[in-house]
Amino acid sequence: MKDSCSSISQLLERYFDRQATDEERSLVERHLPVCQTCHERLRVLEGLRKAIKAPVDEALKEETFPWVWEKIERGIRLEKKPSWQESFRSWLDLSPLSRKKVWIPAVAIAIVLALVTSPLLFKKTPSYSERSVVEYVESGVYNVMVYESEKAKVTVIWLFEGPQNESPAS
Amino acid sequence: MALRGTAKRISGFIKKLALFLFPVFILSLALPSMAPAQVQTRLRVIEASNVGSTIDPSLRDLHGQLGSLFRYTSYRLLRDERLNLSSNQPASIPVHEGRSIEITQVGLQANLVELRVRIRRDGTDLLNTQVRLSPGRTVLIGGPKHGEGVVILALSANF
Repeated sequence: MKDSCSSISQLLERYFDRQATDEERSLVERHLPVCQTCHERLRVLEGLRKAIKAPVDEALKEETFPWVWEKIERGIRLEKKPSWQESFRSWLDLSPLSRKKVWIPAVAIAIVLALVTSPLLFKKTPSYSERSVVEYVESGVYNVMVYESEKAKVTVIWLFEGPQNESPAS
Repeated sequence: MALRGTAKRISGFIKKLALFLFPVFILSLALPSMAPAQVQTRLRVIEASNVGSTIDPSLRDLHGQLGSLFRYTSYRLLRDERLNLSSNQPASIPVHEGRSIEITQVGLQANLVELRVRIRRDGTDLLNTQVRLSPGRTVLIGGPKHGEGVVILALSANF
């Protein structure tokens, strides 16, 4: 009985912590009614647990743990933000398009279109104020005066008869 | 499975879209070169003098410009020619006293035509010039004596 009590006392804490196997539990439960010492020891363990648990439970009821949430929020804030390349890559990974890699020809098309259209979009048509109406004027017979009026939208090329003019026919 | 089907459909749509868009953009590139090849040019030969005070009714649109630029009292229309000029195809109009005016369209942009104007007599250039005209703009070439006054050429283009 003593050997049995000694072996049970080793199992008693496991039984109390509900960590005993079915076989060990049935062994302890068969022993406890017949062993006052072990029974008393189990009661001490239960009393000890109650003595520890009661104030902890009371404190838990009153505590809202704000510091825990603060710590979590701080952790979220401190978490490293992904770079735009990582975000883009993750977007591509999430996209069903990436599975077929169809975005490759799509991006290629977009680049080609941008290259093709950009000269047209940014082509600057010169205004008349930037460019002269008369590109050149030459005469071996007349002296020439050019007058341009932007307001009247008229350009005058006036020919003066010089010393070497075209007479006598004119 | 559903995702794979969606991706396949999207891939097919993009391929079709690309097939449609490429010709459209190639066409849009070609559009500037498909601008109207012909330009309607109007050439008016005017005699300006101080004999009388007659303004030809067909010069009414030019009256303001002529009046603000010159001090002639009379403007008489000698000739009014409308020419459809093709690129690099010179058009020659005989005018007074053995002279002729040769006009050639040498360039055309969206709102600008480049014209080369040569006034010739007996195969000799009296004047050689190149001008850029936009719709509504007039180039006046004047000075040579004619009768009691001078001759003025009014050149404009519509396109």
